Amino acid sequence: MQKTFARSYDSLKEIYDFTEALLDSAEVAQSVRYPVHFAMEELFTNMVKYNPENTQDISLDVATDSSSVTVTMIDHDVDAFDVSRERPVDTESPLEKRPVGGLGLHLIRHMVDTLNYQYSDRQSRITFTKGLT
Amino acid sequence: MFEIEFADDGSIRCTGRLDAAQCEKAQSFMDKVDDARTLDFAALEYISSAGLGVLLKTQKRLAASGAGLKIINANNHIRDVFRYSGFNAIFDIES
Repeated sequence: MQKTFARSYDSLKEIYDFTEALLDSAEVAQSVRYPVHFAMEELFTNMVKYNPENTQDISLDVATDSSSVTVTMIDHDVDAFDVSRERPVDTESPLEKRPVGGLGLHLIRHMVDTLNYQYSDRQSRITFTKGLT
Repeated sequence: MFEIEFADDGSIRCTGRLDAAQCEKAQSFMDKVDDARTLDFAALEYISSAGLGVLLKTQKRLAASGAGLKIINANNHIRDVFRYSGFNAIFDIES
């Protein structure tokens, strides 16, 4: 099911409710829901943070089948930024040297099974899947 | 929904979902904390990387005076987030 959301952190509650209703209807286990909600929030907030002047809504599609949850997020009129590309992240430095922020994409990679990025005509399309088991 | 408050025993009780939309509320509360505290996550369902940023910023500030945050009763998902972030090495997390 697809729906569009305003480019604002205030949309997070609406996104959660929308997704949760779909996962409820598909009887998706609670253990799968955390990583799905987590990845959606991280990707959506990145879209908000890095294109604050963009007035276009962000499209979200959530689908389930017998083996996985698939989420597709589409952002319009944006520069390319490949979220699937691995980037170095500091998770080992002592507290005083640890940077605040920058962990989102790193954490997503631990939580979902596939993460795909496509870009054309100034449109970013991010798809991730999370297995049901 | 996210709530943060002091419990009767002086610990800090977090309830609900600490996502990016709730970070300002969480940071505003944590900015007033100036000594070692226990964060009780028994009723915290969810934390995102934005929430981790609130905790890390507070931990850095408290460490300057030799204090720190201790985290108790975190659910398995939140423990995973801490582990993947390497936060288990810079926070005292009670198992």
